[in-house]
Amino acid sequence: MNVPFVGQVPSDIVVSWIASALIGLFVLWWLTKYNKWPVIWEYIRTTHHRKIGTMYILVAIIFFIRGGMDALFIRTQLAVPENDFWVFQSQKYNEVFTTHGTVMIFFVAMPLLIGLMNVAVPLQIGANDLAFPYLNAVSFWLFVAGGFIFNMAFFFNAAPNAGWTAYAPLSTDTFTTGPNNNYYIFGLQVSGLGTILTAINMIVTIFRLRAPGMKLNHMPLFPWATLLTSFLILIAFPVLTIALLLLTFDRYYGTSFFIGEMGDPVYWQHLFWIFGHPEVYILILPAFGIFSDIISTFSRKKVYGYTSMVIAIAIIGLLGFMVWAHHMFTVGLGPLANSVFAITTMLIAVPTGIKIFNWLFTMRNGVVRIRTPMLFALGFIPTFVIGGVTGVMLAVAAADYQYHDSYFVVAHFHYTMIGGTILGAFAGIYYWYPKMTGKVLDEKLGRWHFWLFLIGFHLTFMPQHFAGLNGMPRRVYTYSWEDGIFLLNFISTVGAFLMGASMLFVAWNLYKTHRLTDPVGGDPWDGRTLEWSVGSPSPEHPFEPVNQVDRLDAFWHAKVKGEEVPKAEDARPSPIAVKTLQPVILSIILVFMSIGFIYHWISLQVLGGAAVIAYLIIRSITDERKEVYEKEEEG
Amino acid sequence: MKQTSDVLFQDKKMGFFLYLIVEAIMFAVLFATYIIFTPASQGPDPSEVYKWKTVVLTSVFLLSSSGTLLIAEKGLEKGNRTKIAAGLIATFVLGAIFMVLEIHEFYKYVHEGYSITVNNFLSSFYVLVGLHASHVAFGLGWMILLMVQFKQKIPQRLFIEKHKIFNYYWHFVDAIWVLIILIVYVPYLF
Repeated sequence: MNVPFVGQVPSDIVVSWIASALIGLFVLWWLTKYNKWPVIWEYIRTTHHRKIGTMYILVAIIFFIRGGMDALFIRTQLAVPENDFWVFQSQKYNEVFTTHGTVMIFFVAMPLLIGLMNVAVPLQIGANDLAFPYLNAVSFWLFVAGGFIFNMAFFFNAAPNAGWTAYAPLSTDTFTTGPNNNYYIFGLQVSGLGTILTAINMIVTIFRLRAPGMKLNHMPLFPWATLLTSFLILIAFPVLTIALLLLTFDRYYGTSFFIGEMGDPVYWQHLFWIFGHPEVYILILPAFGIFSDIISTFSRKKVYGYTSMVIAIAIIGLLGFMVWAHHMFTVGLGPLANSVFAITTMLIAVPTGIKIFNWLFTMRNGVVRIRTPMLFALGFIPTFVIGGVTGVMLAVAAADYQYHDSYFVVAHFHYTMIGGTILGAFAGIYYWYPKMTGKVLDEKLGRWHFWLFLIGFHLTFMPQHFAGLNGMPRRVYTYSWEDGIFLLNFISTVGAFLMGASMLFVAWNLYKTHRLTDPVGGDPWDGRTLEWSVGSPSPEHPFEPVNQVDRLDAFWHAKVKGEEVPKAEDARPSPIAVKTLQPVILSIILVFMSIGFIYHWISLQVLGGAAVIAYLIIRSITDERKEVYEKEEEG
Repeated sequence: MKQTSDVLFQDKKMGFFLYLIVEAIMFAVLFATYIIFTPASQGPDPSEVYKWKTVVLTSVFLLSSSGTLLIAEKGLEKGNRTKIAAGLIATFVLGAIFMVLEIHEFYKYVHEGYSITVNNFLSSFYVLVGLHASHVAFGLGWMILLMVQFKQKIPQRLFIEKHKIFNYYWHFVDAIWVLIILIVYVPYLF
């Protein structure tokens, strides 16, 4: 399509320009008409864990819409053989599946879980905030900046196109020239730094801010999962940072780590999967934690086998670092390496199986109430088991030569990532929605959402197993009638649109809930853990004075006795909350600096670097501890 | 109620140590990269590039700067402002000399034709040692800021807190240098 002053631009991008402009204008008008600017001003300066958690989830949902639209484009292009849908063929198709994968992993699944951690974890352990509220705001705005950088690429017709794994040598500048994959590098670097800082924040919070008397084994399972996940982040993400740094040198400064006679493309694969495999456990463990809490609450029973649940998470996390080469069975590492990695991979099924049985045993003899969060938990169990079974199939190295890079793999990881992580995030959002907003989402619309999503999900991904077994490779934009996979693909496309339609019920639900329902009290689900002992939405300083906790599910046991949770005498001081624009400004600086790198504008790089240093200096001399310590010295 | 500044410092200390673990993993990956690609199948060998004099000289300055920082730490404990100032300034000077020598080393290598693109040994050398050097440079800037804050009227406990966090950083950067000596230089010098 020929656009005046710009030149040739694919028509989907022109449409997105127009759509974004219209939506942007509508939002501006809406914010002004309903006088919402003070709310925005409040939220962009906040360091409060609930507000930041809510923003994580909101922004993740915006990216979810984007990633979901990519998915629908993919499915429409693949609906029938030899299709030519709009522009989504060849290179354009590469861009669509790359952004779909990267956005869904880094800018949807991660922030949904981190958002829920922000909302729930401090309340569940009886803390007034995360250990470093300011740093938490920095983490959030780094994530926003990273997501912004990554998604910006599309609007400049330069979406990354080397797959979410960015395999070298394809991702080096020899084979993918242009700025496309630069966007990938800097989007992930900036948001990755935010994720690392969040992990540090969570670990310190959980180790040092638990309510007096609460031992680690008095914590609910979601904080446990968060703690262990944070350690995985701490170890896995720096590896990605360095892998991307080396790729940056290959793309920018003429080195050849991953290409050429001296370089080694397989080294990229190792580095990527040393990060990438723990990453999938980073995505699933928090979901396990959410389901454990939900199943326990809605069964009115203590979670079955608490200790074995914790140990199982720890073992999964540990084994997660020893299985990366199962993504590389066909690379040719040799039978010994393949056997070792096959066995460690299969071992993961054992602790996962323990968890599945413990969830079932938690429900056994319980008073099971089926509300929306519980429904998602019930949908998760069989779905995830299917994903686990295909995982063990894929772990058989010899058989993997057949499955590798086929739609069987696509089906497998969607069963685990959607069936586990996304269902977990939905369950968590329905469950903690009262803690975020003070209202319970509508039950009936929640059920519509659940059933349409779950049925749509199985319709989409179940046939893909068979398409894969019949030889359909992933990352292709078309197939022929002779391949005999038309029907499988067509069902898959129908299912995808059903999942898309289910999300409309979420929008309707949000509207209906906020327009028509009354606020609820602190404990709408008859909960067991501390977050239900405070008001909804959770107040800025929920625990004043803080609780004294001496057992698991302390709130439940106090409730049963008809008492309040006892208060602690000698509590530690709470972290310092501030109102500050600095994190937002840092993220704006980093966006500009990244643009400087993406387009090789050295002056903008230097300017950005100088601005970052200036930010750090200003941050240090405006330290919010100054006032507090001054008061302490006076008093 | 426990003393606020003390508790908050312990939080920060733990957070910063976790951050140093992150840094350690980043350096570990770069060390692995260096080991994998060195010596390279073509181009110059490390033994013809490195000069033992430069290594010894840079090491003397950087490692002794960890020692002079201990003087400042003693001053912090005893509340002796002269010791703090003397320790910090000495550390800064030694670190700055290291930085000059390091830049000179890189400059000389490039001048002799050993630039970053020549082979993978040199690429991984420059990325690894360069990342360390940028940490030293960052630390020098940090020290200037610390000295400014030393002059300013900020609460004593806040200054002690900031100083201690810096100390952890600087010792960490020194520890990485020891690993660089042992892994990068020594196997190809002697």
